[in-house]
Amino acid sequence: MEPYISVMNVSHVYSNGVTAIKDVNLDIYDNEVVAILGSNGSGKTTLVKHFNGLLKPTKGKITIGGLSTKKERISKLSSLVGYVFQNPNHQTFLPKVSQELEYGCKNLNMSEEEIEERVNKAIELFELEDYLDENPFDLNSSQRKEVAMASIMAISPQVIVLDEPTTGQDHKGCERILHLVRMFRQHGHIVVLITHDMNLIGELNCRTVVMHQSEKVADDQADVVFADKGIMELAGLQPPQITSLTNKLPFLNNNKTYLTVESVLQSIKCNHKEEVKIATRT
Amino acid sequence: MNSLYMPKDSFIHNLDPRTKMIFVAFVVLSSFILNDPALQLLFLASLFPLVVAAKLVKPYLISMQFLLLFAVLIMTVHGIYNPIGVTPVFEIFGGLTFKYESMVYASVMSFRILVIGTAAVLFVMSTHPSDMASALVKWKVPHSFAFILLSTFQIIPIIAREAKIVMEAQQARCLDVKGSLIQRVKNLIPIFAPLFIITFMKVHQLSYVLECRAFSREGTKTSLRDTKIGSKDYAFLLGIVVFLTFEIYLQIFLSGSFNLTTNGLLTYSLIGTWAVFALMIAKFVIKRVQGFVGGMADA
Repeated sequence: MEPYISVMNVSHVYSNGVTAIKDVNLDIYDNEVVAILGSNGSGKTTLVKHFNGLLKPTKGKITIGGLSTKKERISKLSSLVGYVFQNPNHQTFLPKVSQELEYGCKNLNMSEEEIEERVNKAIELFELEDYLDENPFDLNSSQRKEVAMASIMAISPQVIVLDEPTTGQDHKGCERILHLVRMFRQHGHIVVLITHDMNLIGELNCRTVVMHQSEKVADDQADVVFADKGIMELAGLQPPQITSLTNKLPFLNNNKTYLTVESVLQSIKCNHKEEVKIATRT
Repeated sequence: MNSLYMPKDSFIHNLDPRTKMIFVAFVVLSSFILNDPALQLLFLASLFPLVVAAKLVKPYLISMQFLLLFAVLIMTVHGIYNPIGVTPVFEIFGGLTFKYESMVYASVMSFRILVIGTAAVLFVMSTHPSDMASALVKWKVPHSFAFILLSTFQIIPIIAREAKIVMEAQQARCLDVKGSLIQRVKNLIPIFAPLFIITFMKVHQLSYVLECRAFSREGTKTSLRDTKIGSKDYAFLLGIVVFLTFEIYLQIFLSGSFNLTTNGLLTYSLIGTWAVFALMIAKFVIKRVQGFVGGMADA
């Protein structure tokens, strides 16, 4: 299968001489959720800014759906790769939520009907029916974040990049984002997450790429990466608390990495049943 | 520190900010006293050793490029079209004549910009903004006013950084920033609207942060960075006074008795600015072509 995003040997050196990413190779396929982890300044944001052409590789090549990012305009690439910035205030500026949703489509010069169709889809997905006439700046921060996400989704890009989506969100907001990421995947989108939120990744158990000092050091399923102590220590990452705890419980340790409370409970129940079976046999 | 300040160890950097402020005032005053292109050119040349002493030659030349744009524009447009000119000096294609009086006027004006620019760049690049604020407070400038000045220096790079993020955020919403001129003017709204809001939010936040640290407390405050006027500063100030006296003497007693400004000087300085300007454009074009060719080769 052809990868949708293909990063081939890409390096990026900023004009001040700082190497932000070095020889990164990464293929992302349709319908994948990919989390990019790493400490601050490890090159996560620089890497994803290449996906919609905001940055061009100084070495190597990136193709998005077969198009080379070097040749295409950012506006064209942005219709394929939607990038939701960390701070929604950088993106929203129109007086009404509904106008905000239409803005991206208008930039792409779509017909009225098409804009309406796409915006309605986004409204449905994000359940924004009640806020359409509100000013985005009157909404609370998690609602504003959703408006920013919805305004990107209205363009209906194949890929959606979320830059630290759960930062500054309350528990409900985090749950909502988890739900949305699952929805995006159901609707056939590729989701790229930059995050420090290990619980979010634990819940998703998605493919996880670890960046460290401008280089890609790991690329695997979250439970495999979290089980690799060397990598976790190198990149300065701390797995979810439930993973750390279960790693230290001998009676659970059947070579499995637990990422969520539910999975641990499930396992305990199974163990318990088996014990009961053994007990009844004897 | 987000400012134009370039930390270096030099004679100019070690001067007290107050001395340097007096120096800037002196340069501004001199540029008006020396009402003659040749003298101003000499004055500009005599300022250059200070730039070398401050080890700021490269950043100085980079920032001068922008002022040179003004100089080229003023010298060309005024030289041809300013109505005070009567004596023709030379003609370029299409019957446009440069006239002596207007060239003198234009040269004085553009050299004045360069001279004042040099002093300002020297001051800003060699003075830590906090030092400047604490020096102002020593001059009994109200603390809040000094802070306003200080924060202005600091907020410009912050706004520039935010502007870049906003621009990227709008590009991520398919805004085409490389469109026609009309398109670019239209693009100002989606870029400036969030930028203004964010700047106001930041300023608002800053005021809270300041209050949390007892900014508006009455009475005197101690400063983290202390500045002292020493023997170096007195020597420098003495130099300024001597120079100023000489200038006034030159202007009052000798004005008219000698004239360094000639047609040749005016023409060569005009052609000189054109040449530098042409070099700048050539450099820009070569960079663009290189980038284009490099892009093609990679693809």
